[in-house]
Amino acid sequence: MSKDAEIKINHLEGEKLAHFKSLSGLEYKRIYDQQDWSGTLPDAGEYPFTRGVYKDMYRGRLWTRRQQSGFGSPQESNELIKYLLKIGQTGINMDADVATKLGLDPDYPLAQGDVGLQGTSLSTYEDMKELFKDIPLDKVSSTLIIQPPCSAIIMSQYLLMAREQGILWENLIGTIMNCAFTQLVGPTFQANTAFFPIDLQVKIALDVIEYLIPRCPRWNIINVNSRNIRETGVDAVQEVAFVLSLACDYIKGLLDRGLPIDTFAPRVAFFSAVHLDLFEEVAKFRAMRRVWARLLKEKFGAKNPKSMWCRIAVQTSSLPLSAQEPMNNIVRSTIQTLAAVLAGTQSIHTTAYDEAYCLPTEESQKLAIRTQQIIAYETGVMKSVDPLGGSYLVETLTDEIEERIWALMKVIGEKGGFIRCFKDGWIEGQLNEARYRLADAVESGEQSIVGVNIFSEAGQGTEIDIFEQAPDMQAKRIEYIRQYKKNREQGPVRKALTNLNQIVRHQPARNLMEPVMEAVVARATLQEICDAMRTAVDFKIPE
Amino acid sequence: MVNKRMILGKIGLDSHDNGLRIIARWLMERGYEVIYAGVYNSPEGIVKMAIQEHVGAIGVSFLGGGHLFYTDRLLKLLKENDMMNVVLFAGGVIPPKDVDKMKAMGVDAVFTPGARRDVIMETIDAILEKREGDRR
Repeated sequence: MSKDAEIKINHLEGEKLAHFKSLSGLEYKRIYDQQDWSGTLPDAGEYPFTRGVYKDMYRGRLWTRRQQSGFGSPQESNELIKYLLKIGQTGINMDADVATKLGLDPDYPLAQGDVGLQGTSLSTYEDMKELFKDIPLDKVSSTLIIQPPCSAIIMSQYLLMAREQGILWENLIGTIMNCAFTQLVGPTFQANTAFFPIDLQVKIALDVIEYLIPRCPRWNIINVNSRNIRETGVDAVQEVAFVLSLACDYIKGLLDRGLPIDTFAPRVAFFSAVHLDLFEEVAKFRAMRRVWARLLKEKFGAKNPKSMWCRIAVQTSSLPLSAQEPMNNIVRSTIQTLAAVLAGTQSIHTTAYDEAYCLPTEESQKLAIRTQQIIAYETGVMKSVDPLGGSYLVETLTDEIEERIWALMKVIGEKGGFIRCFKDGWIEGQLNEARYRLADAVESGEQSIVGVNIFSEAGQGTEIDIFEQAPDMQAKRIEYIRQYKKNREQGPVRKALTNLNQIVRHQPARNLMEPVMEAVVARATLQEICDAMRTAVDFKIPE
Repeated sequence: MVNKRMILGKIGLDSHDNGLRIIARWLMERGYEVIYAGVYNSPEGIVKMAIQEHVGAIGVSFLGGGHLFYTDRLLKLLKENDMMNVVLFAGGVIPPKDVDKMKAMGVDAVFTPGARRDVIMETIDAILEKREGDRR
């Protein structure tokens, strides 16, 4: 069935779509009216925040332009961050490379081919200082894309750097992603558990949070990432139900530690995908805010309205982007960005059009930022709050999606929660089904992609500029880390690592942030710190 | 007889496996026996597995940009082990210019995003049949 989906263009009857289902399989009705929805809505900034978490939304402050960035060495990424800030990016989104995320130094044999490819290679305290050189930590907010156990190490490096610059921790603004499950695609079991025991990852995530709460009141302590879940092909309902179920597990973990809900809930945030089905996506975010608010208020007994705010950063989904006719991706990501704005999200990364080929070039990054600036400054769509609120269609979809989210969350709850379902393999089963279903839908033409399965022109290649890494980047990083380990004072490193190892081994309940920070001060590398914890629980990693 | 056993795996640290899982399913439905090696494989590990399992082909997938580094090592290992009769195909997010390079290096086929099911399946069928013919 791999022929182009049959397009029926009859000049008498006109062009017609094959079906009227949404991307998530909801049926769009011919027309919506007061029989579908005739409710009233509380103001934006009021519970349950369907219309937005802030009263004035973008009239008070535009969403943050926050493009993920990072490649190669910390020095190269520092240049890129400065470039992005210069052209109008308003927040930093520091992405570490996969080796860093998995707790490996550049010289680890299995890491060598991936160093610096999908993010910045970070290992030492000096790397962190290079990455943020000349960037005012108390004026620009930074998102650090890193999960446990490395979130403890990277956060320690960041805090020590701030102290060294004389910046008070209470003035730091930003986010540590810090989720043990959602920083890698999936979350699939093998990908998330091969390099560190999953229970210890969760424990360290909670340690980081517990440490930050009293010390960094403006810092976001965890960001649960549903974009990586959505990118497997699950639908909008699964995306939200999965991520909110996982967030509930973290909340329970923190409550079990004796932290009152209102001390930490205001600092929990989300990172979501924005797909192409515009109305469905707007409805999804409105429903997500409502479900979260009700959970916090009714299930967890929050009193502070800020605890009930579902603050959402987004990146436009890469799934609908095509390698064929890549310029079409500019149009797609513009519509996705518009959906994110109409939905009242807090920060946006517009995916660059060349993502199906490589990391974005400076030119494609700039275009992505310009896309947001045009929507912000030229279209006027942000001048009123929740502009689609009250639309029969959008309100009906919001209700329908909300109902389905509750139903799926109930199923997950009955199975013991998200983490239990992840360990049982149920989540992975759901993701795999979604992957196959999506592939079938694209093959059969049920899901149309212009230039790919409809209106495709064989042999029509488009030349675009391709991002290229410096050819000796990996070799230099590997050499750097080898020299670093050779040329430092070894006594304090050994002492700090032994101490950390012994604490993990013998005091399993103790918060690990302080011993990790001591190891950073002693100049231990990222992998050395992870290895000290791995060996304490006799954990072996792939070679 | 065409050897219908093959290994599919991700090499290195990138764990984007949507494409690889879908291809694995399609190949199984086509009658191939797929040994799914999952993520985080080393080239050495994949070649060792290929020897133990007597496979006719290896399929690897990339997203992050490690494709040249790893296919180069894979091809060297196949050569060292006198396994040039094993078909090597690759897929993923790979810039056009690198697709040409990989083919010149000796990768039998490279599929990029948007490649259609029938094209992928027929290409793999044809390469395996031709390799079997060459052996005779």
